[in-house]
Amino acid sequence: MSSIPLTHILFVSTALFFIGMYGLFTRRNMITMLMSVELILNSVNINFVAFNKYLYPDKLDGIFFSLFIITIAAAEAAVAIAIIINLYRSHHSIDVEDATEMKY
Amino acid sequence: MVPVLLILIPLITGAALFAVKQEATAKSIALLASLLSLALMLAGMSGYIDAAQMTYDQPWLGGINSRFHFALDGMSQLLCLLTTLSFPIIIYSTWNNRYDDSNRFFGLVLLSQAGLLGVFMALDALLFYFFWELALIPLYFLCSRWGGERRIQVTIKFFIYTFIGSLFMLIGLIMLYFKAGGSFAWSDFLNLKMTSGQELGIFLMLAIAFAIKMPLFPFHTWQPDTYEQSPTAVTMILSAIMAKMGVFGLLRWLAPIVPSATFLWGDNFATLAVIGMLYASFIAMRQDDLKRLVAYSSIAHIGLMILAIFAPSYSGIQGAMIQMFNHGINILGMWIVVNVIEQKFGTRKISELGGLAQKAPVLTILLVIVALANIAMPLTNAFIGEFMMFNGVLGSTATKFGLAYTIAALVTIILSAVYTLRMIQRVFYGETNELTSKATDISFNVKLSLAIIVVGIILIGVFPKPLLSLTSEVSADILGRMNLK
Amino acid sequence: MNAIILSAILGVILMFSGIFVTSKTAIRNIATAGMALLLLVNIAEQGGFHLFNVNTHNMLVFSKFGLLFNSIAFSATLLFFLVSAKDITNVGINAAEYFALIFFISCGIAIVSSFNSLLLLFLGIEIISIPLYILTGSDKRNLKSNEASLKYFLMGSFSTGIMLLGIALVYGAKASFSMEQMHSSINAGRNAWFYAGLLLVLISMLFKVSAAPFHFWTPDVYDGAPTVFTSFMATIVKAGVFIALVRLFDMSFVGSGYDWQLIIAIVTAATLFIGNITAIFQQSVKRMLAYSSIAQAGFMLFGVFSQNDFSREGIILYTLGYSLATIGIFAVLIKMKDYTFEGFNGLARTEPVLAATTTIFLLSLAGIPLTIGFFAKYFMLASAVKSGSHLWLVIFAILCAAISVYYYFRVIQSMYFKTGLAETEPVTPVFRWLLAGMAAAVIILGIFPNLVLQYLYF
Repeated sequence: MSSIPLTHILFVSTALFFIGMYGLFTRRNMITMLMSVELILNSVNINFVAFNKYLYPDKLDGIFFSLFIITIAAAEAAVAIAIIINLYRSHHSIDVEDATEMKY
Repeated sequence: MVPVLLILIPLITGAALFAVKQEATAKSIALLASLLSLALMLAGMSGYIDAAQMTYDQPWLGGINSRFHFALDGMSQLLCLLTTLSFPIIIYSTWNNRYDDSNRFFGLVLLSQAGLLGVFMALDALLFYFFWELALIPLYFLCSRWGGERRIQVTIKFFIYTFIGSLFMLIGLIMLYFKAGGSFAWSDFLNLKMTSGQELGIFLMLAIAFAIKMPLFPFHTWQPDTYEQSPTAVTMILSAIMAKMGVFGLLRWLAPIVPSATFLWGDNFATLAVIGMLYASFIAMRQDDLKRLVAYSSIAHIGLMILAIFAPSYSGIQGAMIQMFNHGINILGMWIVVNVIEQKFGTRKISELGGLAQKAPVLTILLVIVALANIAMPLTNAFIGEFMMFNGVLGSTATKFGLAYTIAALVTIILSAVYTLRMIQRVFYGETNELTSKATDISFNVKLSLAIIVVGIILIGVFPKPLLSLTSEVSADILGRMNLK
Repeated sequence: MNAIILSAILGVILMFSGIFVTSKTAIRNIATAGMALLLLVNIAEQGGFHLFNVNTHNMLVFSKFGLLFNSIAFSATLLFFLVSAKDITNVGINAAEYFALIFFISCGIAIVSSFNSLLLLFLGIEIISIPLYILTGSDKRNLKSNEASLKYFLMGSFSTGIMLLGIALVYGAKASFSMEQMHSSINAGRNAWFYAGLLLVLISMLFKVSAAPFHFWTPDVYDGAPTVFTSFMATIVKAGVFIALVRLFDMSFVGSGYDWQLIIAIVTAATLFIGNITAIFQQSVKRMLAYSSIAQAGFMLFGVFSQNDFSREGIILYTLGYSLATIGIFAVLIKMKDYTFEGFNGLARTEPVLAATTTIFLLSLAGIPLTIGFFAKYFMLASAVKSGSHLWLVIFAILCAAISVYYYFRVIQSMYFKTGLAETEPVTPVFRWLLAGMAAAVIILGIFPNLVLQYLYF
């Protein structure tokens, strides 16, 4: 069963985390940015489940935590999409470069 | 109870004045309140009130062990007397000045009196800090609201300067608090065992605050501007009393608490004081504005007191004590004259005035006496103080440069004679011009105020004993802590 | 526990009242009464009276410190409702929802002030953040508000991601989310995970309290959000997250054998510096207050830095003093027609009460004695002096405090010493009395801070 070592899974989750981060910083499309955020959260989910399964299989803390993360991520996505729709109504664009009302 | 009443009378009256609408009523109430506190002070000093009533000690902040602790020892009595005496004179001598919202003006003046009295009486460090700031806030509003043209920039500079100083002082006091095992009491600060490094740190923190307040060169740059821009009544408070807060701080909160650092660093500060005296005197000679002239002369006079404290000996400290009082009333006299001139002619430029002696003989006589006191002529009060200070600096065993300091300080006395007498000559003698030809002599309130000051000048000049015996105990105590005679 | 459950229930009640109650006044009254009830219930719990008996399996612990903080946060919110409820209902049409969201945030604050498990910390922070994203964007027609909300969301969810990664690493090292396990020595070989995890959690918390160098979202968000909600965000919410940070530090970082103090010291210095310096150059009072809130956060970080009795007392006083003063200033600011400094010119003539109370609030923010702001700063500085190390930080902090005088006093100068006709919205006498009452509280607590602090011990 444990033929895949823990490190491999951590590699995957770390890679996902940084892909998400990269996406958040480079993409200008709000939906893509939202997806990047989801990617970050999900990479953490993988972490939790992997730690739980490999290191502490007698308890289920990590898996429960990931359930909470999924719930929170759903709430965040709902709010984010509401914000984006609202912006789209006024800007007719979902490019963050257009949202530059405030400058220092 | 006396200390509490002394603070409460101006505090409550000052706050109440904000609700009084009529100008004359507000003025009269302010004068009455200040006279009342003077009467209380005199009653307290004359021994009419039980000595036990001269201190007040009640718990305040249980958690951090700070107390409402006020006491009136010799030095406090001297300075409280100066404060309570100055305020009626200030209010009365500027009786005819007009201010918008005069009720607020006098309310703030009385609030600042409460703060100043608290500073001079507090024996708890946190309480001291409280009043130290409290005296500043009303003055900030007074200068900014009723001052001259550049008042806003000038007073914010003044405020930030002194605020930085007092925050440094706060850190110093907090350090002392932890050293004293969690107590803010002045008496607990006195016998702390500290390494020289710790003592030096605390010394510098406190000294910065006092140096800014006095002001000591090179921290003086706020002072001439602020004195110039403030309304003259406020300038009187600033120079006659508030500058003494710094000197008082040195004598109460610095020298006795960190004596060895004061001893070690004495020469540095004494040198700064001498540089400041010379610098201020030379600048004063080139001033055309009466207010700036008096402001710079004030730096020079305060510098001498700082010198006497940092090159200490019994005679020098005693001289500085009595000179705090003398300088307070002398400079008050100078400011009253400046105020009269400004109110009458609308200018303070020496070059635009002249020949006032023919038109206002009473003013001239009184001013000449004040001016002679300002340059420390014998038989005036300042002579006693300055002579004792010179004597003290010359004979101080704490410094090797006593002679050099004395010579430099003597030069500034000569310079002060030069600029003061030249000012009198230009303003009061010579030809009258268009502006001054229609001048009249001074009104009764100014006459009376100046007369009181002149009487004080001569009385102390001839018979200084009561004032000297008032502070002798405190001075001896300070020197004892520094292991000096 | 009382506060957590009740605030959630009240939030739901208010949400439904938006459907059934049409009168805005009624909604305001329900919300204010609800907040008063919440405060009462929390005070009752301080006295040992529990409405609900829930076994939290040690995931929440209710300490005196946390409960006192709740009381302060709820009383500040109550005051906020009293002075600004009308402005909340004026933001948009969904008046009841705004109040409901504020109640949910209160629930989050009650959770983070008593969490004992990283799971609850995460949930608490999210319960605070998500309603805030909505409140920031609640002025739907206003572009700035939308934009601020978007920026806030992106930054906030990014920092949430960082926090989660941190918690995951800590979990990997310690096999538990419980704070008590943080010092257990199991799996000592995985200490690197533990420290990396703690650092990530710390970074994300610094994000949330807008400490430098993670502060850059703050001015935009505070500026863009409707002013009433900026007031709420900059005070109560910020203090709530601070309590979480202090508790987290108290329980996990101290004693973990690493010099965290130095990191916090550097962050504190940077926060003070950036907040104060940039605040000087602002032309709008609202933006100035946004930067000043960063600067004040720098002072609150002292509570995290020194970790002793003084810092705990200090953070309580700071929360109270800072919230009172800032809520007051914002309440006045909302009434102004012009948010620039010039807009305040001559306010002392047109609205003397507003000007006088604002002055007291500003003096409190600057830390002048006789106001509670002084004692707040005093306790913070004293705690740092007591901790003994890093005296340079204390000196740096007082220099920054002196800088802050400059921009706070600019408002005073405008109100009192400059001529002009400051225009305000019409102001009711009740509003004036409330402000005067708050100013009086600032002064009374500035003379007798023990009135609050005694509850920390008894």
